[in-house]
Amino acid sequence: MKQLNEISAEQDAMQSVVGLTDVFEGLASMRIAQIKDQVLSSEQFFNELWSIYSLVRLGKQFSYGRQESDAVQDKELFITITAEGGFSGDIDQKLIDWMLSFYNPDKQDLIIIGHHGAIQLAQAGVDFKRYFKLPLHDNNINVEPLIDQVKQYKSTTVFYQAYVTLMVQDIKKIELRKAIVQASHKSSDNVISEENYIFEPSPQVVASHLESTMMQITLTQTILDSKLAQYASRFRSMRTASERANEMMRDLRLEYSRTRRHIADERLKEVINGLVKAGGTL
Amino acid sequence: MADAVKSVKTLKVKVASPYMIYFDQPAISISGVNKTGPFDVLVGHHNFITLLEPCELLIKTETEEKRIRINGGLLHVKENIANVFLDI
Repeated sequence: MKQLNEISAEQDAMQSVVGLTDVFEGLASMRIAQIKDQVLSSEQFFNELWSIYSLVRLGKQFSYGRQESDAVQDKELFITITAEGGFSGDIDQKLIDWMLSFYNPDKQDLIIIGHHGAIQLAQAGVDFKRYFKLPLHDNNINVEPLIDQVKQYKSTTVFYQAYVTLMVQDIKKIELRKAIVQASHKSSDNVISEENYIFEPSPQVVASHLESTMMQITLTQTILDSKLAQYASRFRSMRTASERANEMMRDLRLEYSRTRRHIADERLKEVINGLVKAGGTL
Repeated sequence: MADAVKSVKTLKVKVASPYMIYFDQPAISISGVNKTGPFDVLVGHHNFITLLEPCELLIKTETEEKRIRINGGLLHVKENIANVFLDI
């Protein structure tokens, strides 16, 4: 049987675990609220830009902000967004496995975001073209290096974790061009052309700039969505750990009381035995 | 419609990035810099779309002058409404 001081030390350690998991749970919850606000704000910005773009592009297909002279590889680009570290459950593994079920090195190149995913790919013996760290901060995410890569490929598909609810996260894939068109709202305004507008420098350059900006917003949104899912997953893991730690605390309290009662009973027994041996009667 | 636009004395100016609105109120003018150099937009300006160079935007209202340093962006002017979409 454990000594009282051992149980007491375990109780203290468990109390620390409860405290830590509560803090992580609180932090994750706060980040979720902040990111949701950002996503809403950038959606409005995106829609305003799209309403201009849809009138400027004059029926041209979305071309990833490329100039006509830019060379394009006859390959598809896969971008997979995973967590930077642990504490995010098994969702990264699911995402990687799912992405690999579509992946053919002859037809696709792979870019991985997040250290956790890079390690899993390395363990699976899969080569990737580039690795980027998942930004630690949630504001001003610089996706310019990603955009430079995206422009080199005929199309791009992003695999990411999506936030459904606080307790439910999903894995998703989306073709970037479709994501941009789906995110837009149709505008009914008149066409913007050089007949009714002054352009500086030219409609083509403006359209190209708008495409780059919208692509940046869409990629940032995908990264934020992924982070949202990771925070939610962390929230869920911490909630489970906290509940488990509280259960163990209850068990330890019970064990502590039982041990103390046992010690008291033993002492009483010793006293009674002592009295009996001394020739006394009860 | 055109008469209504002419009778307005201020522009409706909004300067925003995807995650923040830096300015959103009526103004007398907005000045910036594009590839061809510095320019001003006043009430009644022709429809205008321009890419902005890194510069300090100057927005004059009836009571104050507001300066906003930017890294670039896009300005859209239509019917006395000027929207600046800042680069990310």
